[in-house]
Amino acid sequence: MGSLLNEIFIGLSLTSILLMIALGLAIIYGAMGVINLAHGQFVMVGAYIAWFLQSQFGFNVIVGLPLTFISGALLGLLLERTIIQRLYQRPLDTILATWGIGIVLEQLVRTFLGPDSRYVGRPDFLDGNLVIGDIHMSYYRLFIIAFSILILFATWYLLYRTEFGAKLRAVIQNKEISECYGISSNKMYAMTFAYGAGLAAVAGSLITPFVSVTPTMGTELVVDAFLVVIVGGVGSIAGTAASALMIGEATAWLSYWFNDTTGRILILIGVIVLIRFRPQGLFPDTVRR
Amino acid sequence: MNKGFSIDCIGYAMFAVFILLVMPWMVDYSGYELNTYARYLALGMAAAALALSWGTAGLLNLGQALTFGIGAYIMAMHLKLKASASQAGGLPDFMVWTNMEELPWFWEPFHSVGITLAAGVLVPVGIAGLIGGFMFRGRITGVFVAIITLSLMLAVQLWMIAEQQFTGGQNGLTGLASLELFGWSVDIYTVAFYYLVAGCLMVILTLALLLVRSKAGLVLRAIKADPERVRFFGYDVARYEVLAFSISAGIAGVAGMFYAMVLEFASPTYMGLSLSLAFVIWAAVGGRESIVAATLGGIGVNMAEGRLSDLFFDQWTLILGVIFIVVVLFLPRGLFGLVMDFREKLEDFYRNKTTASTASAMESNPVSAIDQGGDK
Repeated sequence: MGSLLNEIFIGLSLTSILLMIALGLAIIYGAMGVINLAHGQFVMVGAYIAWFLQSQFGFNVIVGLPLTFISGALLGLLLERTIIQRLYQRPLDTILATWGIGIVLEQLVRTFLGPDSRYVGRPDFLDGNLVIGDIHMSYYRLFIIAFSILILFATWYLLYRTEFGAKLRAVIQNKEISECYGISSNKMYAMTFAYGAGLAAVAGSLITPFVSVTPTMGTELVVDAFLVVIVGGVGSIAGTAASALMIGEATAWLSYWFNDTTGRILILIGVIVLIRFRPQGLFPDTVRR
Repeated sequence: MNKGFSIDCIGYAMFAVFILLVMPWMVDYSGYELNTYARYLALGMAAAALALSWGTAGLLNLGQALTFGIGAYIMAMHLKLKASASQAGGLPDFMVWTNMEELPWFWEPFHSVGITLAAGVLVPVGIAGLIGGFMFRGRITGVFVAIITLSLMLAVQLWMIAEQQFTGGQNGLTGLASLELFGWSVDIYTVAFYYLVAGCLMVILTLALLLVRSKAGLVLRAIKADPERVRFFGYDVARYEVLAFSISAGIAGVAGMFYAMVLEFASPTYMGLSLSLAFVIWAAVGGRESIVAATLGGIGVNMAEGRLSDLFFDQWTLILGVIFIVVVLFLPRGLFGLVMDFREKLEDFYRNKTTASTASAMESNPVSAIDQGGDK
């Protein structure tokens, strides 16, 4: 019984990380059809910012979050204005261009900061475990789960309860008519991309206590996050959350029953079969298009 | 005949001269240098394979390295068995280390050269046929093709790394013997080996060009433009897509076999994400619409990498990334598109010139000009 609950908890913690990375990707893909393969590198940049803030100023991960978000968003804004905005008519080409951006970001980090792994500690006040019966739950993992739910809610609020969200949804539904009403679609796209990049950076800084920070850490993350987005269905926040939960829990369980590799292979095969029979995703947002 | 095809033919002739005469001449027929060039040709072949499915039929295969890697592993398995013949039971060294008792059944056939060479083409074709049929019967297109092929490649790569006793795991297959063809022991550091690779590349490109020129090629290009309309004409779109996908996989398999021979090992990185996307980069830089241009893209980028990475070290990756972004942004059809645009401009220029001279002739001597026109 205890091991069962432990697996559920590990699955939840994987889910929360997947969700934070995938959410930015889902918003960018849903709003403008851009498949951002550089998203993993945004996560990597966020992790390096967390490392920088900790090693230089002694900020812990949580104190550094606002700064991390802002720097990630600025990076996203810069890339959107210079490169991405030229590709809105050519969705497949965004895969290629963003892969190029990813290569460049990765190499820049390697050049200026070196290829070595960096380590970031978790905040002191979240050390230790919450023990209920047989279940050991580290406070930091609990914090991340809570925080990812918070981000999910904040994103939902931003899209469905603010003026910005209303404008963005208008642009997604019909760009030309929205522009007739005075909404600048360029501005909406730029801000959405910046928000997605900021989320990626935040996710990157929050996962630093679990993983070693290297220039190449982004590539694997983006594949997982992208699978989550596709399985969830384009443009659906609830779908992304549900599919992150499914994939996170499935990964935890399959790794427990078999081993890590077999678990991952089974997930990949499951995703292939799912896309084949339901390319629109599990929870497509039918209202939008 | 469409314009792209005649350009391809001229390009093909120039390409043949380039790889058969110019490249060996550039290094003074040194077998050692030509070994490096043979590697570029193998990678160019992989780019050609990608261009066949991506540029012709519009199927972006992000898992092209899967079939490339399978070809490489098949060749490496044969050469490994040959190298281990003197060992106890003919067992490859890594199997001894992982306490394998006897050779697994799927290694057995690769004692034979013939089966190895056939399998290097047919296994990739078979795999691509299965996954292609699975995808295209369900009318999967665009991004979803990219995701499915990518996921499949990652799954196979994970399996290859995990099953160390069968595949050599992370290290792959190293310490290979040299291939023996009809009593000829292939030395990869000779001019003869270079011409073997170059000859195969030319044959494959010829076949690919014939395919593109055939009616099937026309249907494939139509599918790229609008699959729905082709379906309405009564064509079985999925069948044509599977065809392009499988042939492309077969070519990638051949490329992989040569690549394993040139580098004298096979490793799981051959079916990795980075190499797979590198194929895409090369094909895009050369021009995905033309198979020859994509091949040149593969050869050119690798040649530049060979020359410039000495100069720039790691910064070469940075330069490659920037080049790639610039190509996608400003030259979506690659360097091939640049050549085509130039040709169109040239044609327009001459057309304008001839019409202009006719017009001036009309003005100076209207009667005779009209008479001449009337004579026709």
